[in-house]
Amino acid sequence: MNKFRLNIDGKEVYGLPGQTILEVCRENDIFIPTLCYDERTEIYGACGLCMVEWEGSPKLWKACATEIAPNMVIRTNTKRVFESRKTNLELLLSNHKGDCRPPCMLACPAGTDCQGYVGLIANGQYEEAIKLIRDNIPLPGAIGRVCPHPCEKACRRGLVDEPIAIANLKRFAADTDEFGEDPFVPECEPDTGKNVAVIGGGPYGISMAYFLRQMGHDVTIYEAMPKLGGMLRYGIPEYRLPKEVLDEEIAVLEKMGITMVTNTKIGEDISFEAIKRDFDAVCVGIGAWVSTGVRCKGEDADGVIGGIDFLRKVVRNEKIDLGKNVAIVGGGNTAMDACRTAVRLGADKVYNIYRRTKDEMPADMIEIEEAEEEGVIFLNLTNPLEIISDENGHCRQMVLQVMELGEPDASGRRAPVPVEGKTETIDVDTVILAIGQRVNAEGIDGVELTRKGGIVYDKDTFMTAIPGVFAGGDCGNDKISIAVESIGDAKKSCLVVDAYLRGEEIKYEPNYYVTKKDVTPANSSMQKREKTTSLRLYSAMMKSRQSKKQTAVWNADVKTTLNVSSSAMQICMM
Amino acid sequence: MKVVVGQGSCGIATGAKKTSNEFERIVAEKNLTNVVIDKTGCIGTCYLEPIVDVYNEEGALEARYVKCTPDKVAEIVDEHLIGGKPVEKYVIPTEDEAFLSQQQRIVLRNCGKINPEKIEEYLAVGGYEAARKVITSMTPDQVIEEIKVSGLRGRGGAGFPTWFKWNAIKSNKGAQKYMVCNADEGDPGAFMDRSVLEGDPHSLLEGMIIGGFAAGATEGIIYCRAEYPLAIARLEIAMAQAREKGYLGKNLFGTDFSFDIRIKAGAGAFVCGEETALIASLEGERGMPRLKPPFPAAKGYWKLPTNINNVETYANVAWIIANGGQAFADRGAEKSKGSKVFALAGKIKKGGLVEVPMGMTLREVIYNIGGGIKNDKEFKAVQMGGPSGGCIPAQLIDTPVTYEDINKTGAIVGSGGMIVMDEDTCMVDMARFFLDFTRKESCGKCNYCRIGTKRMLEILERITKGEGKDGDIELLEELAGKIKDGAMCGLGQTAPNPVLTTIRYFRNEYEDHIYNHKCTAKSCKALIHYEITDDCKGCGKCARNCPVNAITGEKKQVHKIDPNVCIKCGKCEDNCAFGAVKRV
Amino acid sequence: MSNTCGCQNGGNADFAELAPVLEKYAKVPGSLITILQQTQDIYGYLSLDAINYIAERTGIMPAKIYGVATFYAQFRLQPVGKYLIMLCKGTACHVNGSDMVEEAVCEHLGIKDGETTEDGLFTLNNVACLGCCSLAPVMMVKSADGEETYGNLTKSSVKKILDDYKAKNA
Repeated sequence: MNKFRLNIDGKEVYGLPGQTILEVCRENDIFIPTLCYDERTEIYGACGLCMVEWEGSPKLWKACATEIAPNMVIRTNTKRVFESRKTNLELLLSNHKGDCRPPCMLACPAGTDCQGYVGLIANGQYEEAIKLIRDNIPLPGAIGRVCPHPCEKACRRGLVDEPIAIANLKRFAADTDEFGEDPFVPECEPDTGKNVAVIGGGPYGISMAYFLRQMGHDVTIYEAMPKLGGMLRYGIPEYRLPKEVLDEEIAVLEKMGITMVTNTKIGEDISFEAIKRDFDAVCVGIGAWVSTGVRCKGEDADGVIGGIDFLRKVVRNEKIDLGKNVAIVGGGNTAMDACRTAVRLGADKVYNIYRRTKDEMPADMIEIEEAEEEGVIFLNLTNPLEIISDENGHCRQMVLQVMELGEPDASGRRAPVPVEGKTETIDVDTVILAIGQRVNAEGIDGVELTRKGGIVYDKDTFMTAIPGVFAGGDCGNDKISIAVESIGDAKKSCLVVDAYLRGEEIKYEPNYYVTKKDVTPANSSMQKREKTTSLRLYSAMMKSRQSKKQTAVWNADVKTTLNVSSSAMQICMM
Repeated sequence: MKVVVGQGSCGIATGAKKTSNEFERIVAEKNLTNVVIDKTGCIGTCYLEPIVDVYNEEGALEARYVKCTPDKVAEIVDEHLIGGKPVEKYVIPTEDEAFLSQQQRIVLRNCGKINPEKIEEYLAVGGYEAARKVITSMTPDQVIEEIKVSGLRGRGGAGFPTWFKWNAIKSNKGAQKYMVCNADEGDPGAFMDRSVLEGDPHSLLEGMIIGGFAAGATEGIIYCRAEYPLAIARLEIAMAQAREKGYLGKNLFGTDFSFDIRIKAGAGAFVCGEETALIASLEGERGMPRLKPPFPAAKGYWKLPTNINNVETYANVAWIIANGGQAFADRGAEKSKGSKVFALAGKIKKGGLVEVPMGMTLREVIYNIGGGIKNDKEFKAVQMGGPSGGCIPAQLIDTPVTYEDINKTGAIVGSGGMIVMDEDTCMVDMARFFLDFTRKESCGKCNYCRIGTKRMLEILERITKGEGKDGDIELLEELAGKIKDGAMCGLGQTAPNPVLTTIRYFRNEYEDHIYNHKCTAKSCKALIHYEITDDCKGCGKCARNCPVNAITGEKKQVHKIDPNVCIKCGKCEDNCAFGAVKRV
Repeated sequence: MSNTCGCQNGGNADFAELAPVLEKYAKVPGSLITILQQTQDIYGYLSLDAINYIAERTGIMPAKIYGVATFYAQFRLQPVGKYLIMLCKGTACHVNGSDMVEEAVCEHLGIKDGETTEDGLFTLNNVACLGCCSLAPVMMVKSADGEETYGNLTKSSVKKILDDYKAKNA
């Protein structure tokens, strides 16, 4: 076969008779975009993206469909070609109704392919499911148990009846894998010769280590507490997240070859300077471990403790004497954790103090409901006014200001306003303040801090004021949020850190997605369709049955399950 | 005596069948045994239908009656058929005779003269002699040479030299070859092919037989659009009669050349006029164009060599063989030889089919033959080439009608449709109209056409609704250029032409719509409002007919329209006997 | 001609009338459009059941047949009224006021393009071109008896034509 010469973009290449321009370009690393082309199928030539210029011809030619000729001169990178491609893509997007990716995946801060793994689990492909989950989440068992699942809020099934149980399914996939015979451990690229220090073994730190190690870098996690896990271990009680689960997931990290140095606090046990010197990059994930106060009179009394501090003590099995009456101030998950932990520790009366109503509490509804089931007394629309101590300086009573809801504030929530003159007083032995958290960046010298004490980092590169020092998770940019958000930070910035280690500077760039914004309960016809199909199926089955008794039972079944009227049933039987 | 009633679709639509039935009834009643009632196809002077020709015993034409509705029949029978004297007041006026006499009819040579359903009449005027000559005494190369000398170019619109296509298919190898006739005639405003199919179907058949011989094909297929049921019926009759006489089928004229034809009806898709889409439709698929190369001449219908020509092209062939290619080349212009059929329609006094030598100017066609603009309004533009063509403005009316000259204006000769427009036609609306058509007819395969026409249409709709934005004209031009560059087939590549030509010549109308919120032609509803002038006599007819009670006024006083209530339906304008309702 | 039945389930389950068509064309490659045209001639439209039946007999996938049926303007997937009004929207007709004629038809019958009147008498379909340009504006009325073409329409003349049909069916 005689090869002949042709010229593409000024480069001399060779091709065989019968080959197309596209084939020759691909053999020579010259990029031509395509959409409708696939080697396995007949050439279709519809999308028009692969058009190129052929010198001597006034029109554009499809690279996928045009056979090469000796000495032809092709240009793939002229202004005319680029403009043609650009218009083509613009036209496609102008007509695009969405969705590029499902709303659940877009709602997940870590970009987990929920749609993907839910489908795999539905198929019974549990191994593939856990691998897909672990593309984004190194702690699937933990997250599957505690995440407030923004994915489920976005799930379109929720417009019809209830969202898919995405979080629970993740937990199922994780448990099946981790407590099975051969837990999945991701493969790591060959050693790059670079090393990274991760400060903080919480969700951000663990994830950062997990991703960077897979890219072949040598990673060491420094953790101040005795064990890794961060808030997942020390802020969430056992009944919500058994430590056993965390231990299994941390074991995976060990198997990947990640070094873990615990009981080591930067700035105390080892200097930040030393870390910076010994490592090619540093990732800071120290979290926000300081409880914020409520700023009421008498707050400094004994027996007043921060929410996360209380929970940490419990995890560390430290002795706590709660007394009989415990009041927990706050409306988030930490507050609920504290309430329910207090119940389990044997308190008589556990009060929850929150200045708005139950509906406005940020905690997960299930936590509030279960707390109520467990006997927690909810004193909504109250706010601490004063903590009265006894002669020893230990808290004895708490005066609460009764509130009512006024006009909505900037966030859209109705602001609570005090009801003049109305107060309530309760007896308390312990007051737990689970209102907020703050960062303590002591030990991390040289970084710029926000007004509230958080570490400042560039939102596109995740780099702090110190070159080569990155940050993420609760400790940065005043963004104190949920665990999966920290994992998302790690997922986004690991590419930036990897590039940095290779001597390149890149930014995190989110992908461009088109989403459908007009799906409403009104136009979600799934419910109707499902009912009709199920009705038909039932009626077909009914007709083939003999027994009247069976029919009666099934009739009742269909009525309740599908909530249809008897007349509808009659019509169906015809 | 022979009474021939023109019964093409136009004739039938104006009641020619009823006229014919009336003749039959009265002739039978009066027992006139020497009178024969016959039918013929479209004569071309469609604006004068129904047309009845009366021939004497020797076969000479005694009178041509025009606008011959059934109520005139009795008088004609009495005075002419019995009395021997034509009824002058019903006969074609002299000035209308000029419509026909200025034409050079090759393709339409038999239309209006013979009965398309009687092969004997076709034979009587020399039918199938050319086919005989070719099959018994010529070689394929000689045939192709004759066509080459004639300079015949494809009449479907592309204007590609016919001899070249026939030579290509002749040179290609294949187990079987096909001669296909594109009778899809999808251009709105074009009805040339219809007349040939309804009026002289044998000329098409003969042309295909000659072409098949030259190409080495044994099967011919006519792809005729579904909207022409009469054409399909007449073709079937013609084919059956031809087969009976041995002009179609096996061993024609005693040689070993066999050729037969079948009809495939289209199903209503303009894009099937494109040759690869037509082939896809013949194969029972969706009519979506395919990649070229390979070209149909090499790999077409079922991947075998296929030649596709338009009806009009084939209709010229027998005449060229009979009279010699040079006779054809002697007419017309230098690069556009021979004659072409045009369908004159729109705001023209004398609408119909005209066949003129190429090179005649637009002015001659529109004014000398077409009689000028209806109601003597001002000529604004003529649209040529259907949705693939463009609008040629009044200042270019002296352009000769040749492929090259018309291309220079930005329009195309196309299949021959000529829609005449006057001062009341909004050019922006015309562009919108054509884009609406091409968008609906787009097959959807390639991005540029499928989505590009949609976006262009949206912009044009906004402009005609008065919501045009600054930059819209430039955006239209840019999109048009890109679509022309990127679209896969002729439909997409030429869809922007109407927009580009109207912007080129009537940019002021676009600017009026966008910047002045005015429709230059006072046509776009959103940009006009109705006013009653002082010519109003106060009769109140408009107010009574107004569906939203927007008109107030005292009896015998000038009435007034409330612009806030008016929905611009135009009923007042329609009803006013005094012309007092004006669009502003 | 059972072109008023709208039932998609069951109905003409045996398609006996189609048998000769399929005898002739089922195994002839490239005949799908012809088969669909003749099916529509018999039943007035292409029901889903008919499409499934043709699929069974020809071996062509129902999805492919549906694709062809929806591509071409001629094919109807809903039954039509007794009289199918094909209103020409070609260039010559447009220039001579076909939009006004359409308005008159829509107003007089109370239906829009593609719709059928309540009494099942008329269906309105706009078509791209009928080829009778000198008689613009033009409409063709198709029924079991054949086709009638009406030219030089005005708002009033078209209403009269429709009223004549109504009177015939009173």
